[in-house]
Amino acid sequence: MRRIKQIFITLVLILFGALLHYVLPQHDIVKITSTEIIRTDFSSLNRIFYAQADSGSAASETRDLRLINTQKKKTWLLGFYPRDKMGVMVYRNEDTGWIWPPYFKFDSADLQAEAAANIAPGQERWVVVTHYGWRNKYLSIYPNAIGIRPVEGPDVTVIPWFNIVFFAFLLFCFGFLRAVWRQFRQRTVDPALESAEDTWDAVGDGMTQRRNRFSRWLDTWRSK
Amino acid sequence: MGLIRLIIFGFIAMTIAYFVISIYSRSVRREKLENRWAEKHPDGGDARQREIFIQRGMAAYHSSLRPKLILLVYVAPVVLIATIHIVTTYY
Repeated sequence: MRRIKQIFITLVLILFGALLHYVLPQHDIVKITSTEIIRTDFSSLNRIFYAQADSGSAASETRDLRLINTQKKKTWLLGFYPRDKMGVMVYRNEDTGWIWPPYFKFDSADLQAEAAANIAPGQERWVVVTHYGWRNKYLSIYPNAIGIRPVEGPDVTVIPWFNIVFFAFLLFCFGFLRAVWRQFRQRTVDPALESAEDTWDAVGDGMTQRRNRFSRWLDTWRSK
Repeated sequence: MGLIRLIIFGFIAMTIAYFVISIYSRSVRREKLENRWAEKHPDGGDARQREIFIQRGMAAYHSSLRPKLILLVYVAPVVLIATIHIVTTYY
């Protein structure tokens, strides 16, 4: 039972971590090489990794998808450890709209223009792409670009302010909920349990008394 | 449509948060009052007097600024959403 509980908690933690890794913003240092639009047919397998149609447009089975092709500086440890090696990365560029993930992004067309404006073949023009999501070749899914910011060179340090504040807030919420739960247990559940115990004891006492009376009555029938 | 959904579900979530926080805050205040009474009256004191003391303390709490600050639960997410929207869209 303990084992099962441990496995269950580990699974929940892994899923929660994966969710955060998918949804929280990350920063890549890239050179934009081109932008393009492809028609996309979603399957039930990869549909949840895409946002909806542009805000204000109708949603249909198939639609065009804006992509940003880049050369990216590879990193280790979620971007904390920079490497010299270069790779490629493709970002999608979709409105997230009002619901999920909560980026409230409506400017994908402008972002595409910004990306196009930063294409500079043969030049060292580096940008930081803020994005969320995963690239997966087997599911054909791409991280969604949220913002593009030109930077001096490939060696800039990006401090993830949002994530710092977010995790601080998460920790605060966790502490608060624990305090609420403790207060609730101490002030509401425990007294209720105690009074229930008292009632139970009273019932028990009544039972023994009655049984005593009954056995005494039985005793009167016993032959002396 | 998305905006309407966000407003409805956001309102429900914020209302739940509002009630949880205000019940918690009230409970903490009551506990504090009980502890203060127990400190002054190590023998327990008069039960009626104690009830009046706590009721008065709670009335003072209800008319103070603190419970009104919990209404910020409704304001903060709106400000946050507006900030995120402006930062992603205009910067």
